[in-house]
Amino acid sequence: MPVLQLQDVTSGYGYGPDILNGVTMTVEAGKAYCIIGPNGAGKSTILKTVAGILRPRKGEILLDDRPIGGMRPDLVLGAGICYVPQDRSLFPEMSVRENLVMGGFLEPDRRVVNDRVEEVFEMFPVLRERANQHAGTMSGGEQQMLALGRALMTKPQMMMIDEPSLGLAPQIADQIFETIRSLSALGITLLLVEQNVLRGLDCTEWAFLLDLGTLRLEAPSDQILDDPSIRELYLGRQVVANPEAEVGEQP
Amino acid sequence: MTHIIQVAILGLLLGGVYALMASGLTLMFGVMRIVNLAHGVFIIAACYLAFFLFVGPGWDPFLSLVVTMPVFFLVGVLVYQAFFPRIEGSARFGEMTVLLTFGLALIVEGLLSFFFTGTFRTTNPSYATEAILIGDLFIPKAQLFAAITSLILLLALWAFLHFSRTGYAVRATMQNRTAAQIVGVNVRRISTIAFGIGMALAGASGSLISFLFPFFPNSHWRWIAILLALIVLGGLGSLKGAVIGALLLAVAAAFVSDLFGPTWSPITFFGALFIVLLIRPQGLFGKQARVG
Repeated sequence: MPVLQLQDVTSGYGYGPDILNGVTMTVEAGKAYCIIGPNGAGKSTILKTVAGILRPRKGEILLDDRPIGGMRPDLVLGAGICYVPQDRSLFPEMSVRENLVMGGFLEPDRRVVNDRVEEVFEMFPVLRERANQHAGTMSGGEQQMLALGRALMTKPQMMMIDEPSLGLAPQIADQIFETIRSLSALGITLLLVEQNVLRGLDCTEWAFLLDLGTLRLEAPSDQILDDPSIRELYLGRQVVANPEAEVGEQP
Repeated sequence: MTHIIQVAILGLLLGGVYALMASGLTLMFGVMRIVNLAHGVFIIAACYLAFFLFVGPGWDPFLSLVVTMPVFFLVGVLVYQAFFPRIEGSARFGEMTVLLTFGLALIVEGLLSFFFTGTFRTTNPSYATEAILIGDLFIPKAQLFAAITSLILLLALWAFLHFSRTGYAVRATMQNRTAAQIVGVNVRRISTIAFGIGMALAGASGSLISFLFPFFPNSHWRWIAILLALIVLGGLGSLKGAVIGALLLAVAAAFVSDLFGPTWSPITFFGALFIVLLIRPQGLFGKQARVG
């Protein structure tokens, strides 16, 4: 059953040019998806447009067949989609616990919020140890865990995660991807943007290949690398030559 | 020695009122990145409201707080809704707020001059000229009461920001606007409320200023200049910075005024601003500007 559908969505920043050019894609409930593609392909733009940070210029975005395109971010979140941006967007001067409590902002019952904070602490014991530390003083990996934990506070049906491994050491990135797999196991639909193509494909079932704002191809994640022409054309020689290469991407 | 303590006390009492004015201004910048050049003119408008409540029904300026604060909260909500959503999302939002609020300041000043003329006004409740003597120390009642009121209002603001749900949302928006959005804060609504609160603080300041300093429509330029110096010194958008900056500078200005005469006291603010910008451009409690 499709959860999220994008129909011919065009989007961009401010008065700038279109970054997405008529993207159509369907996301099924409970599955894990990865969006891959070169720098500037519009990967992050898709997530921001769905999250309501950007307003689509054209096209429709449907969640459970209801249009959500152009809706305020808090309403999109209330509808069940949460977004973890590339920069993690934590509250640097609030403690870890306060960040999590803010994550439960839409839940009016304080007891429910506190129970969920406990659940997140069960999942990420390191966050419990740091409960009273300011988020801005934690390491990159801990910040990413807090960002994921905070997103879980809303009990989302779907999570969109932008570049979770950005700026993390390989072992820490491994931990984060392990966590992302466990989110899938919880039945949460995942839409992942990942610059590190091999890792991104490894923890998802289906991949969308984006280039210059258009969807070029979609296929099961484990098959996409098998086709040598796809490797050559869309993933670049670099990936073939150096599978661990990480390239910074501007949003 | 007594003399030094005396000057410091007078400075601190005045600093409390400066802190009240500055906190509203820095709140607006912190939450919405609005540089509100009209803050001073709304304070003066509130002075007039307190003045007419005083000369008309004979309300004490402290009693007028129950009118000036809600009235200016509402004015703030209306002003915010009328002007700012239109320029939201503009790449030059910061610059546009400067022009917009500068224009607003000119318009409100013009209206005040038209209706109330350019005559100096002041409310003069009985305690305005009275003082308490503690040993050799002379504590003017008006300044003391104004400082206590400011302190109470600042504590109320602090409690609101730290213990209420809306207050959490305001602080979250100040720390990271996008992050606030993605945890479900309606930032437009929070911005409107924060602007209203900033204006309510301007309203309260007006009630207090009305008996501390004579005012006329044009005198807001003097206030906004000082207030901007205060909040830049404290670190734009930092409430703690605004309060500490206000207290420090008010005391410094009191000493400058004592040593060189009152004419030189405004120089203190701009001199301090100049030095801070040279040495620590982000202000005492400001964050380093991030690039990109």
